[in-house]
Amino acid sequence: MEPPEDVIAPAPQRRRPPGSFRWSTLLLFVCWLVPIFGGVAALERYSVQPASAGNPPALWPATEPPGPNAGRPALIMFAHPRCPCTSASMEELARIMARASGMVDARVIFFCPPNPTADWTDSDLVRSAKAIPGLSVEFDPGGAKARQFGAPTSGLTLLYDRSGKLRFSGGITAARGHAGDNDGEDAVLDLIINHDPSPRRRHPVFGCALTECRDARVAQGASR
Amino acid sequence: MNPTPANRNQRVELLVNEHYQQLTAKMDRLFIILFVVQFLAAVAAAFWISPHTWIGTTSYVHVHVIAAIFLGAAIASMPIFLAITRPAQPVTRHTIAVAQMLFSALLIHVTGGRIETHFHVFGSLAILMLYRDWRVVVSATVVVAADHFLRGVYWPESVFGVAAASHWRWLEHAGWVVFEDIFLISACVAGMREMYAFATRQVELAEANDALRRAEAVERDRAEAERVAAGERVELSRQAGMAEVATGVLHNVGNVLNSVNIAAANVAEKVRANKAPALAKAAAMIRDHAADLPSFLADDPRGKQLPAYIEQVALFMAAEQQAVLDELQLLSGNIDHIKQIIAAQQRFAKGRKSLETFDLAAAMDDAIRMNISAFDRHGVEVERAFEDCPAILADKHQVLQIVVNLLSNAKRAVAEKLDGRKLIRVVIEPVEDGGKRYASVRVIDSGVGIDPANLPKIFMHGFTTRQDGHGFGLHTAAIQARHMGGSLAAASDGPGLGAAFTLKLPLTNEEALCRPAA
Repeated sequence: MEPPEDVIAPAPQRRRPPGSFRWSTLLLFVCWLVPIFGGVAALERYSVQPASAGNPPALWPATEPPGPNAGRPALIMFAHPRCPCTSASMEELARIMARASGMVDARVIFFCPPNPTADWTDSDLVRSAKAIPGLSVEFDPGGAKARQFGAPTSGLTLLYDRSGKLRFSGGITAARGHAGDNDGEDAVLDLIINHDPSPRRRHPVFGCALTECRDARVAQGASR
Repeated sequence: MNPTPANRNQRVELLVNEHYQQLTAKMDRLFIILFVVQFLAAVAAAFWISPHTWIGTTSYVHVHVIAAIFLGAAIASMPIFLAITRPAQPVTRHTIAVAQMLFSALLIHVTGGRIETHFHVFGSLAILMLYRDWRVVVSATVVVAADHFLRGVYWPESVFGVAAASHWRWLEHAGWVVFEDIFLISACVAGMREMYAFATRQVELAEANDALRRAEAVERDRAEAERVAAGERVELSRQAGMAEVATGVLHNVGNVLNSVNIAAANVAEKVRANKAPALAKAAAMIRDHAADLPSFLADDPRGKQLPAYIEQVALFMAAEQQAVLDELQLLSGNIDHIKQIIAAQQRFAKGRKSLETFDLAAAMDDAIRMNISAFDRHGVEVERAFEDCPAILADKHQVLQIVVNLLSNAKRAVAEKLDGRKLIRVVIEPVEDGGKRYASVRVIDSGVGIDPANLPKIFMHGFTTRQDGHGFGLHTAAIQARHMGGSLAAASDGPGLGAAFTLKLPLTNEEALCRPAA
């Protein structure tokens, strides 16, 4: 008699029993995972490693026209038009301007070479800044203003109150190129909207170096 | 052998394992493609979003580009390697789960921590759920939770945006993942249950199929044995010319002998009722009055009636003689039929046929006449309805045997029926069937009919509904009809509703001529 075809007969397998442990597998797994964890940690560390916040003047420079309008604090962000990390800073600045519209005299000063091409003056970042209502955009050929304000890093934001005193200096992102709520942004809004009388507040800044000066190289060391 | 519950469970378990191996191997292959695509996407995103980092007017390759290429390749390499070398293994899918979450972290970094990229985590968990292994979802969740926990401890601002976040803030983020996990794990468990239910149904189906195959095999063996036995019977019967042939001879001769007996009884009855004693009595009366015979014939009242009496006796005896002659002729015909039956059976036993061209209607009349005494005795009416039909070429005596048999059965059927008209109709007509022309002889009776359950068995060897029957007549008749290139069929509307037997004989007998006797 022809044996019935057994459709569910298991195919012969040369497998180890399920759940059996192999030291070699564990070793392989660890050898793979450890460097990856190291790489991810390095990436994480890179993203939170602040750049130099510089040494901005405590008072609004008398040589810098125009000064802050009466009754309005002045907000200045220094930016590198081709720095990818500064996109997040620009997003946060847009949020600040949305909430503090008409309450602050805000401007972005873009570093550029002495004879800039369109790559510098019409980059994505510049266009983003120009699209923010109430924000004026200026260019800083050669970085003279950056040096004047002691600003070595793209994304560095300074807030001077109505009396010309520096009340905030630093970045307005939580990490390098990471948009989202953060202490720097909260501090700026607090100062503009609530006129917080507390001493000068600071926050780490994350971005590319604006110029090739020695301070900037120090700042860039972390960002590379 | 009937499967036991334990045996069935084992088969279900094996089937589920096999299906699960196929599913997980397929998922592993899917992830090979996914990791390649993710790697390319990460590199493309890094080049698109942050290709360079700048120091004034000098640019350098951005760390994200380097990370996307090297870290991305490192993350993707192990799961791809395991999916190729150890597909469908638990270690492979857990490695894939860990790597997939690490890829989420890489993509989040290279896209600048976009909220939108965080959907990669939730999408990946949903894809991992397709493994239907809740442990894989847990492995992935552990990676996400560990990442948030460690970053919360060491770099809280990178994940929570504030430098002084609560130590438990990571639980909020992990909680949303766990929220999704609840549904994904439920889906995994439900998926496995479904797989078990499907496997159980498949095993049950396979068992039913096995049982069917076994029954089919038994039936095939039985049919084969029966076919072999039948073949042997036919071979034995044909070669030895004994059992069935002898039975057929006896049966058909018996049918005719019945008519012979009746004819002989009729002759005997007529001879017993002979008027010879009356003639002797008249002769004695003449002898007693020999002396005065003229006056006796002229004056005596008895003598006056004597000539008329003698005349009547003569007439009666003449009629009686004719009746006896008729019976003897029928008897002679029946005896000749017996001779022909025996000759035909001898030819049949030797595998030869005696074909002749004859008038079917005349042959039917002969067959009716052979049974006429029996019909008269049981009060059976016979109606003939013979259409014009060409003369056929066949073995006349085999045709007669078949029809005599059918008429004999019809007579019994109507005789057993106590009420109603006892009628047998014999119909001859030309018919066409399957493009061939036949002469059809139908014997239709108003008798007791045939039970529908018995109808399919009516031509089986040995089947009979009569106590004194043998079950050979119709069987032999059907075989004879087939040997002549024709057929014999029975029909009945049921008990009490009569029956009809149809004998079809080919009008062109080429087939019968060519057909071997067996």
